Amino acid sequence: MDLHILDHRLRVTSISKTGLEQYTHPLIKLIFLRNRTRCKFFSLTETPENYTVVLDEEGFKELQPSEHLQVEGSTWLPLNVVSNGNASSSSQSVGVTKIAKSVIAPLAEQHVSVFMLSTYQTDFILVREKDLSVVVESLVEEFNIFREEGGESVPVHSQDACNGLQRNVHPVLIPENQFCVMSLDPDTLPAIATILIDVLFYSNSPKPGASIDQDMECIKFFSFSMIDGYVSLVMDKEAQKQFPTDLLFTSSSGELWRMGRIGGQPLGFGELQIPSFDHLNAACIL
Amino acid sequence: MSSGYKPDILWSPHHADRYVICDTELSLYRIGPAGSSETKAGALPLSEETAATLLAINSDTPYMKCVAWYPKQEPECLLAVGQANGRVVLTSLGQSHNSKCKELVGKELVPKHARQCNTLAWNPGDSNWLAAGLDKHRADFSVLIWDISSKFSPEAVPAEKVRLSGDVDSGLVVTKPLYELGQNDACLSLCWLPRDHQKLLLAGMHRNLAIFDLRNTSQKTFVNTKAIQGVTVDPHFQDRVASFFEGQVAIWDLRKFEKPVFTLTEQPKPLTKVAWCPTRMGLLATLTRDSNIIRLYDMQHTPMPFGDEVEPTIIERSVQPCSESIISSFAWHPSAQNRMVVVSPNRVMNDFTVFERISLAWSSTTALMWACGRHLYECTEDAGQGVAAAEKDIATKMRERAQSHYGHDTVQVWRNHVLAGGDDPQLRSLWYTLHYILHCSYTENVEQKQQSNKQSLIYSGIKNIVKSSSGTTETRRCWSGSDRQTDVPWYHSEERSLALQLCGWISRGPDIDVEPFLKSLEQEGEWERAAAVALFNLDIRRAIQILNKGASAEKGDLNLNVVAMALSGYTDEKNSLWREMCSSLRLQLKKPYLCVMFAFLTSEPGAYDAVLYESRVAVRDRVAFACMFLNDAQLPRYIDKLANEMKEAGNLEGILLTGLTKDGVDLMESYVDQTGDVQTASFCMLKGSPGEVLKDPRVQCWIENYRNLLDAWRFWHKRAEFDIHRSKLDSSSKPLAQVFVSCNFCGKSISYSCSAMPHQGRGFSQYGVSGSPTKSKVTSCPGCRKPLPRCALCLMNMGTPVSSCPGTGKADEKADLTRDKKLAQFNNWFTWCHNCRHGGHAGHMLSWFRDHSECPVSACTCKCMQLDTTGNLVPSDSV
Repeated sequence: MDLHILDHRLRVTSISKTGLEQYTHPLIKLIFLRNRTRCKFFSLTETPENYTVVLDEEGFKELQPSEHLQVEGSTWLPLNVVSNGNASSSSQSVGVTKIAKSVIAPLAEQHVSVFMLSTYQTDFILVREKDLSVVVESLVEEFNIFREEGGESVPVHSQDACNGLQRNVHPVLIPENQFCVMSLDPDTLPAIATILIDVLFYSNSPKPGASIDQDMECIKFFSFSMIDGYVSLVMDKEAQKQFPTDLLFTSSSGELWRMGRIGGQPLGFGELQIPSFDHLNAACIL
Repeated sequence: MSSGYKPDILWSPHHADRYVICDTELSLYRIGPAGSSETKAGALPLSEETAATLLAINSDTPYMKCVAWYPKQEPECLLAVGQANGRVVLTSLGQSHNSKCKELVGKELVPKHARQCNTLAWNPGDSNWLAAGLDKHRADFSVLIWDISSKFSPEAVPAEKVRLSGDVDSGLVVTKPLYELGQNDACLSLCWLPRDHQKLLLAGMHRNLAIFDLRNTSQKTFVNTKAIQGVTVDPHFQDRVASFFEGQVAIWDLRKFEKPVFTLTEQPKPLTKVAWCPTRMGLLATLTRDSNIIRLYDMQHTPMPFGDEVEPTIIERSVQPCSESIISSFAWHPSAQNRMVVVSPNRVMNDFTVFERISLAWSSTTALMWACGRHLYECTEDAGQGVAAAEKDIATKMRERAQSHYGHDTVQVWRNHVLAGGDDPQLRSLWYTLHYILHCSYTENVEQKQQSNKQSLIYSGIKNIVKSSSGTTETRRCWSGSDRQTDVPWYHSEERSLALQLCGWISRGPDIDVEPFLKSLEQEGEWERAAAVALFNLDIRRAIQILNKGASAEKGDLNLNVVAMALSGYTDEKNSLWREMCSSLRLQLKKPYLCVMFAFLTSEPGAYDAVLYESRVAVRDRVAFACMFLNDAQLPRYIDKLANEMKEAGNLEGILLTGLTKDGVDLMESYVDQTGDVQTASFCMLKGSPGEVLKDPRVQCWIENYRNLLDAWRFWHKRAEFDIHRSKLDSSSKPLAQVFVSCNFCGKSISYSCSAMPHQGRGFSQYGVSGSPTKSKVTSCPGCRKPLPRCALCLMNMGTPVSSCPGTGKADEKADLTRDKKLAQFNNWFTWCHNCRHGGHAGHMLSWFRDHSECPVSACTCKCMQLDTTGNLVPSDSV
């Protein structure tokens, strides 16, 4: 197994629901006008509490500071686990469960907080830049670690270290809605722009055609990310109905996902040993 | 491989006249000659000769990302289209209703997780296999190899699951690929290896180029690189692969896959297409975004990666197929040489043939050869009899002359001009001059051995002889056979007499007797010249007699009688009708000697410009004339002027005036500059009085060049004869090296360039491309840069390093020089067996033959060491 430290320097921010209107301009620019920014890493996730925006420093420049914008202080680096094609691992997938076991658990032992970001294409594990040396030390045993700099992969080595284990237990909530993980040809992004804007920024307004789900067990969740030119969307089935079927890519089996929500309270940064945003895939139903 | 919105172009693999343009739809075109009956009114002109006709359009497959043409003959127009959602659809163009095609058309190959299909490739061996490269997915493979003949649709897909993939006729949908490769990353490009159809080269796997073998998919060979946007195998050299990334192209050798063999110069804009020419070895075409030029890289001379002795030579050039318009894509024609069709973003197509670079080779035997495309042209000099000698190239002339022993007749020196062909007046004059010089000098030698300064005077030419003239007597001579005195002053001195001897008019002796000369001229049939010489010696009767003889001789000109009659009417009365008529009518005479005869008779005494400056008259005759009729003031002035004229014109007749002095070398230099005739120059200068002129570096250069020329013609014996001849005449010339190591390729001595001139890199200048000056390595021939033979033992190329060039050392470094001057350690010397011709470094050979008697080359049974008598001797130091 290889672990790649990607060449992005990320900021994790949160925009409150009420302050969204202040940020629609930069967000639309980041989503739809790719040529106008040099942002290579962008992810927007709507949760019941707020909008979480993860983006690189180029993209971060677009966001004006205000009381509605909460910025996590440190710079985060994305890690990516890839199977290096060895006989043992090429047949089995590199899912979050495997990552949880092989990456997150060792990091938890070192009290390193991580931030999971899953897309249609892959899973990213975000760690704070200052924790990087600890990360490398803890994972160098199991992974070949490479740091990507300007397109080249440079091997990283470290001395090993070990520490005690401490585990927090959090309640898990499983809301009722079913989610789709989908992708999209970036060239066709303009074709769904209005729907996307509608879903992203007007999710609270009543829609005439759609049945408004009053069930409190349902949870508002929508995620959009565009990383290195790859678009990934996570939405519930209700939202998906608004999109044309022929543009979004998904699995031929049409698999759906359920959410397992951990904590359930407004999520702060850096408080949890087990990260907050990997709940999508942890509770796979199909 | 280009995005669906820009048109790409694809040639049919089997029909050389069909291609497909794909952008949002597929359009099949047929290309044909413009204006032929076949082309209809709607044909689009592609070039001056060709036009394209639209045959069919297929717009069934939206969101096209890539297209691949079925490689088999039948069904002929089957295309695989990769779509933005990762599905691969088989479709067809043109109405081919055969059953096999029907079965396949409309078939869809659907991946488990939808994402863009980047690339498609049919297996060249098993045409049922189609490899598709997809974007990455978190839990799926990026390379799927489909079997298009498979009807098996694994699990019955529940109806609601099919919803996402649209309406589906399940018989036509294949969801289970044959092989799945590469997880958790995108595949940007792939190709099957033509050498082994089970092997697949993938680009984009974790920033790798990877080779998978389908027989064992868990094993792969991979190399980490950025150049992963596209890969393509050279059809002519199946281990050579080009891959690109943004503006950079890397060339790989699959046998040595660790790093690129080399990378091409980076382009400022990202590349969109890179394609090997299928009809021409080692030609790679690249196209960058928004560009109107296609760059071509000629790697024909690129060595194998194992031959690392010579740096790769890549010739880069660019072509502009359609003058201003930007090129969207291009495709090489599969069979027509160097031909391609380019398409612009607005679908304007252009048929274009890249003109082949012409390479030229000039042999030492004047044959010229050039290659253009697959044609080889030879241009040789017409060896037929019809060609006038004057039109022949100097090299041809020199070859012929060398074969006829030109220059080697040292007894009858004048005969050399006959050996040279006898048709060049300049050479004739030169060899006669040399003959007279040597003759005079010889008789001088015999008679007055003590007068050495006179000896050298003979060699110094009439110019210097005349200057040293003293004691000139002026006489008025009578017309011979009459006692009438002429009013013409006639000058005489010892030096003038010597000059006349050198001119050949008189032989040695106190009296001026031109009769033998006249006789010899008569024998040669030079009637006019003889008559003129007789007249200048004031013997009108003899002149008239000669003219009469000439008129009555075989093939004689009867007009000479008329001239004789005119001559007989000579009168020295100033105002006579004869004089008046002669001075005006003489200009109409075609023959220069007749003309100057009347000029002489009608001139005022002392004003003989009409004679002296008649350029058609031989220099020696004019000079002899001047020596008789110009006074001491006029003569040197005239000779100087004439000598300078000759020098400027490079006219060998001037050697008479300059002699074999520095002046003569100047004259010869100008002659060689004009003609390149180093042969005559070498032989002429060798005849010079010992020492002086031969020391001139120019003369040495001519001699060396002539020797090299003989070597290049493989006239070894002639060269040896020349060397013998040279050592006889030039005692100062040191004995020359007789054995050389010559290059196997160009035949030149490998030590040649060290001694003569600075080496000029040939590799690039040959093509007219300005490239970095190539440094010549020790282990390559300084003449042609090809590698020298390898040592049979260490297998390294041979070569002896030159540690210091002679002449650069300063005086205070002299102590070190003795050691430095050695070219190389003895251990590095070339050694070889004269019997089997195997060999190597002297050191290695010595140590080998210490223990062996047989040749180190494995298949050779030559007992090299025993053939050598010294081989049986024990070296003295080991006793």
